[in-house]
Amino acid sequence: MIKLLGAALILFAGTMIGFQQAARIAERPRQLRALSHALSRLETEIGYGHTPLPEALTRTADTAEEPIRGMLRGAAAGLWNADGLSFRESWDEAVRKHWSATAMKKNEQAIVLRLGSTLGISDKDDQKKHLKLALLQLQAEEDAAREEQSRYEKMWKSLGVLIAVLIVILMV
Amino acid sequence: MLSQISQLLPPELKRLLENLPPEAKMHLEEVRIRENRPLEISFKGQFKFADASGRLLSGPDGAYAPTAEQCRKLLERMTNYSLYAMEEELRRGYITVTGGHRIGLAGRTVLDGGVVRGIRDIGGFNIRIAREVVGAAAHLLPKLLDRKRKTAESTLIVAPPQQGKTTLIRDIARSLSYGVKKAADGTDWPGKKVGIVDERSEIAACVRGVPTFDVGPRTDVMDACPKAEGMMMLLRSMSPEVLVADEIGRAEDAEAIREASHAGVAVIATAHAYDARDACGRPELRRLLQDGSFTQVVELKRTAEGIMHRIYGARSLLQPSSGADIPRMPAVSGFEGHIRSRPRES
Repeated sequence: MIKLLGAALILFAGTMIGFQQAARIAERPRQLRALSHALSRLETEIGYGHTPLPEALTRTADTAEEPIRGMLRGAAAGLWNADGLSFRESWDEAVRKHWSATAMKKNEQAIVLRLGSTLGISDKDDQKKHLKLALLQLQAEEDAAREEQSRYEKMWKSLGVLIAVLIVILMV
Repeated sequence: MLSQISQLLPPELKRLLENLPPEAKMHLEEVRIRENRPLEISFKGQFKFADASGRLLSGPDGAYAPTAEQCRKLLERMTNYSLYAMEEELRRGYITVTGGHRIGLAGRTVLDGGVVRGIRDIGGFNIRIAREVVGAAAHLLPKLLDRKRKTAESTLIVAPPQQGKTTLIRDIARSLSYGVKKAADGTDWPGKKVGIVDERSEIAACVRGVPTFDVGPRTDVMDACPKAEGMMMLLRSMSPEVLVADEIGRAEDAEAIREASHAGVAVIATAHAYDARDACGRPELRRLLQDGSFTQVVELKRTAEGIMHRIYGARSLLQPSSGADIPRMPAVSGFEGHIRSRPRES
């Protein structure tokens, strides 16, 4: 009886681990897409609205979903506090702080961090160019992430169950 | 007042300004920040350098030199981290920040077909501190009232830079808008509808369209608007009785002022000129005086006791025979009155 219960628990745990890994892999392209949307929104605010950066960031954050919302809010909040942070410092801090909550990887973090040293300090055309470049790079990452998803998502789901089954068989 | 400026500054510079001697802090007029060069401050008409602890030095040796990093932070903060939203300001070479303070910029210009499109690599900042001096126009005001027509006289105020033109015109707008209790002839003057065209956001220091200086209860402000266009817009939409504008001088400004005076609106404007005769030498201003768009000219001169003014009638100024007789700027005692002796600390 106890053996049966243990086997059931192992099966359940293995399946869950597999599903979680699959969810992470499925989540990455979705978040990359959301990040791209946020950046194009930012581009519109800067290029056509001439909205000042702190306000543009908060407005973009309002339309974005977590965890990107928290990241943009954090970057805007760091700007006018007493420490006299430059935009790059505030952006760096916010990105690094919120990155662990996302399913995204180092590559896209580097792209986003690079934006910190260019946003706000040049004219409109230049800003649009930098944002466009970042969007292109994120697009490439997203494509790669989708490919990875189609390849590994199913695999992780079945792998979890199969490994659990293997363990149960070995134990019996 | 100082707090509005110091929140723009990087922490090191902020601390330095806070440690300045109280007298300098109180009368601070300009802070000049040049990358890697001595920090200069100006108060009460004198220039000094400051060292890292806020002590004043008469020479540049040993003075504090702001670093490139600090200048970049200052630029970021005063543009609200958004240089791209300041293209118009960079083209003109200055930025007006909350409180009406103006920050002049110097650096390498960007040209586009021979026309300056902006400034990049900004290495020099001049922070000019705006002060609201309520009552600055009190002495001058009775002379601006037209008793017969029960309105203000159209007046041109001339002076070189840094003599208090904008401070004066702001207080004139405020006083006319509130109305004058117990004027010189013993009667009360009700407040007038005043329209201000504030091209450089210095008169009213609007933040999101709302004036931060007291410009009176019956005053409408057209903020950051080209003067000529702004005057026409106000004439059409807000039916002002008095129009106030700063630093006129272009042909289209003159056209708008003429239009206003034909509509019976009094115009009070300032112009850069050394004195009244110098103003007559400028063709646009001369024509405005000739056709009666301005009926009088006020000349300002700053002295140790305060700002002095002297008034000329437009006609007497233009008569060729008497034109030569107009005395050059005499000693202070020859002036008709002084406007203020000390700025009020706000």
